[in-house]
Amino acid sequence: MKLVIDESRCKGCNLCVLVCPYGIFQEGKELNSRGIVSPALNRPERCTNCRLQALYGRTLCGVCQMICPDQAITWVEERPFEPHRVEVEF
Amino acid sequence: MIAPDWFREDRLPHIYCTGCGNGTVINCTLAAVEEMDWKREETVFVSGIGCSSRAPGYILTDSLHTTHGRALAFATGVKMARPEFNVVVFTGDGDLAAIGGNHFIHACRRNVDMTVVCMNNHIYGMTGGQGSPTTPPGAISTTTPYGASEPAFDLAELAVAAGANYVARWTSYHVKELTKAVTTGMQTPGLAFIEVRTQCPTNYGRHNKLRTVPAMIEYIRSHAMLVEKYNRLTAEGKPIPEGTFTVGELVRRSRPAMGVRR
Ligand SMILES: Cc1ncc(C[n+]2csc(CCOP(=O)(O)OP(=O)(O)O)c2C)c(N)n1
Ligand code: SF4
Ligand code: SF4
Ligand code: SF4
Ligand SMILES: [Mg+2]
Repeated sequence: MKLVIDESRCKGCNLCVLVCPYGIFQEGKELNSRGIVSPALNRPERCTNCRLQALYGRTLCGVCQMICPDQAITWVEERPFEPHRVEVEF
Repeated sequence: MIAPDWFREDRLPHIYCTGCGNGTVINCTLAAVEEMDWKREETVFVSGIGCSSRAPGYILTDSLHTTHGRALAFATGVKMARPEFNVVVFTGDGDLAAIGGNHFIHACRRNVDMTVVCMNNHIYGMTGGQGSPTTPPGAISTTTPYGASEPAFDLAELAVAAGANYVARWTSYHVKELTKAVTTGMQTPGLAFIEVRTQCPTNYGRHNKLRTVPAMIEYIRSHAMLVEKYNRLTAEGKPIPEGTFTVGELVRRSRPAMGVRR
């Protein structure tokens, strides 16, 4: 699964930046086509949902999705063979 | 998104301002509804007038968007006519406690079987930021330009005193706890009242030195104290910091209720 912000809904409030324990959301810098500064994602594959949601059959943590006042945060299926960054955390 | 079966996706994005807590409260309420496994055809959302009261317009069930302050009166009617329906009321602090104050205490006294979620942003958001009965002393609003001088209502305590079977208070920061409280409220027969302290960045935050959305929610979060801790501190005679409010479950009891499905 892949974490995405739906830019057609996000209003750039940065509440997701405040709540994510991994700091996956970071305050954005660029205006998008709607004139809104959406957060940038910093290595979203670290979110447990990306790896384990399908296995567990439910949303884990999910606080960002819950607090997002604009229903803009979702996890979508990846296309087969999407490139992945491999991260080794020590 | 949370609860895609319940959101009217064709109406999104909603009209709320950037970072308005109302969207979060809808998320939590719908997550609770999903957990209850209610059917859409048997669930009715009722509201009055206000930003908070627009919530049912984003939900895929039948709903009543009524006159200002009268949500509980209409909801009582729905429940009396069709006790098999699940009734959920969205209301604001102005809608519930100012113009609708009498309906509020009497719905609690009658203990009508429904769930009332109040988005308490301490202000009349929709009409441009006039002070409400919950505007804290000292706060700036368009009708209190030198700071509010009246004491504020504690809505949850009011519901306890008036007789509601379940009363809880959380904030729009405490999403998991709020969802759990709404679920418990929905399971409890009789009136369940859940007050949510939430942010109105546009008409409250901007005038009260809380210029960003995270600053506003951080302020709310840091002034919330678990009711157990509050009771312990008061019992020990320890001081409570100014501006603190309690969060948690304030009452769960089984007074006789009206409109409970037999
Ligand atoms: C009978 C009547 N009086 C006054 C109004 C104007 N009015 C509309 S919304 C509102 C206050 C809403 O405050 P609140 O319930 O706290 O909702 P919020 O917008 O803050 O969510 C008022 C006074 C009205 N619509 N109808
Ligand atoms: S689900 Fe939790 S860990 Fe994953 S991005 Fe959201 S807040 Fe961060
Ligand atoms: S919480 Fe939602 S609306 Fe706010 S910045 Fe994050 S994705 Fe955008
Ligand atoms: S005015 Fe306040 S309550 Fe109304 S939508 Fe804007 S932020 Fe929300
Ligand atoms: Mg209000």
